[in-house]
Amino acid sequence: MVRKKRDEGVSAVAEPLAVEERVGAGDLRAVLDEVKGYDGVIGYILRNSTSAAIDLKDPSKIIDFAILSSSALEAGEDVAGVLGLGEVRDVVVEGGDVKVLSLVVDDNKISVFMEKCADSDRVLKKLLSG
Amino acid sequence: MGSDVYSFALKSALDEIRNLCPDVTGAFIFREDGEVVACDGALSDKVIVRVIDAFDGIFDKACAIGGVNAITIDGLDGRVSVSRVNDVYMVIATSKKADVNYVGTVTRVLIPTVLRLLDKICPAPLKSKEPIEDFSLEAEESPPILEKRKESAIEMTLVEEEEKAEEIKGGEVGVDLGGKAFSAEPPVNQLIVENIGGLLVPSDTVRVDPAVLEQWGELYEGIEIKEVDVETFGGRSVRCKVKPIKDSKYEGKGVIQVPEKLQSNLEVKKGELVRVKPVV
Repeated sequence: MVRKKRDEGVSAVAEPLAVEERVGAGDLRAVLDEVKGYDGVIGYILRNSTSAAIDLKDPSKIIDFAILSSSALEAGEDVAGVLGLGEVRDVVVEGGDVKVLSLVVDDNKISVFMEKCADSDRVLKKLLSG
Repeated sequence: MGSDVYSFALKSALDEIRNLCPDVTGAFIFREDGEVVACDGALSDKVIVRVIDAFDGIFDKACAIGGVNAITIDGLDGRVSVSRVNDVYMVIATSKKADVNYVGTVTRVLIPTVLRLLDKICPAPLKSKEPIEDFSLEAEESPPILEKRKESAIEMTLVEEEEKAEEIKGGEVGVDLGGKAFSAEPPVNQLIVENIGGLLVPSDTVRVDPAVLEQWGELYEGIEIKEVDVETFGGRSVRCKVKPIKDSKYEGKGVIQVPEKLQSNLEVKKGELVRVKPVV
């Protein structure tokens, strides 16, 4: 599976998030729907250059989670560039209540939100194996 | 115990981590406001500032997930982990061949232990402000064997501190000494250099984060801070006039705007760290 670097032009902080239900990467969406059934997973955001799919149990947090997801991927790229980590595989941000797993697969930026106790390694393996 | 000693102890701990785990390529500790508390010397100041800046976006938005406890960035050639320890964040960069579990175990044990120890020895916050020390109390708690030797040292320190207190009184600093001798070293803040834009920028004036000026204002109540000493990590320093930053986007960011000429004199550039101390 080949992963590309994310598009430099994307800055979710400044841009309004387009919430659409049509998704290009249908297979990935199916995998994410399966992942959403895992213990502790509370939702996901899948975005590419043309569309976005968001499935979160608490819709009031969509914007906050979307911005955080973009920030995590952006920080991952920046830090990897500065410290020579090479291409970013994934970024995990653990908060007091929730943790976020973010990664880029092809043109698709994925963030999976889960409870702290959830198994993010299992989710990552599933997403990378497709 | 001053913040320098605090930093030194933490730096030693970070160096030990590198000795124990050679695959650690860099480590440093910072506070959420961006102030670097300690670094192991493997990473330049510029790199550290850029890394901290990169995490800004996450910290800004992390309230949605209950704050940041940890961040892990997994790359094909290495990995960076950020872990919260008390009120600071520890950053550990490792190569791809590092034993993540081993590094994690060492860092999770060593750094919190050192922090706990430092907190017990001197419960000072990890801020640049020098803590007020009560030497008379320290003397009472000294073990008897060392008492005689320590007493003379304490007496000397007391004399020095009293002299300092007298100097401060002479300078009309409103510090309530309460009959005891206190250390009154000006606080040293680490700030990030930014350029000053615009025409007619005075070359002898720096602009400092209003939050920092406010801190100093609280510390030296009633005294207007007109000048600061700016010191680089390369050892260059300059005394110049100070004003608050006008641009609201820099507020609370720990930034100092330095005119180009001063930057050139100090041999610093935008994004680098400098130490800034008020002149009272």
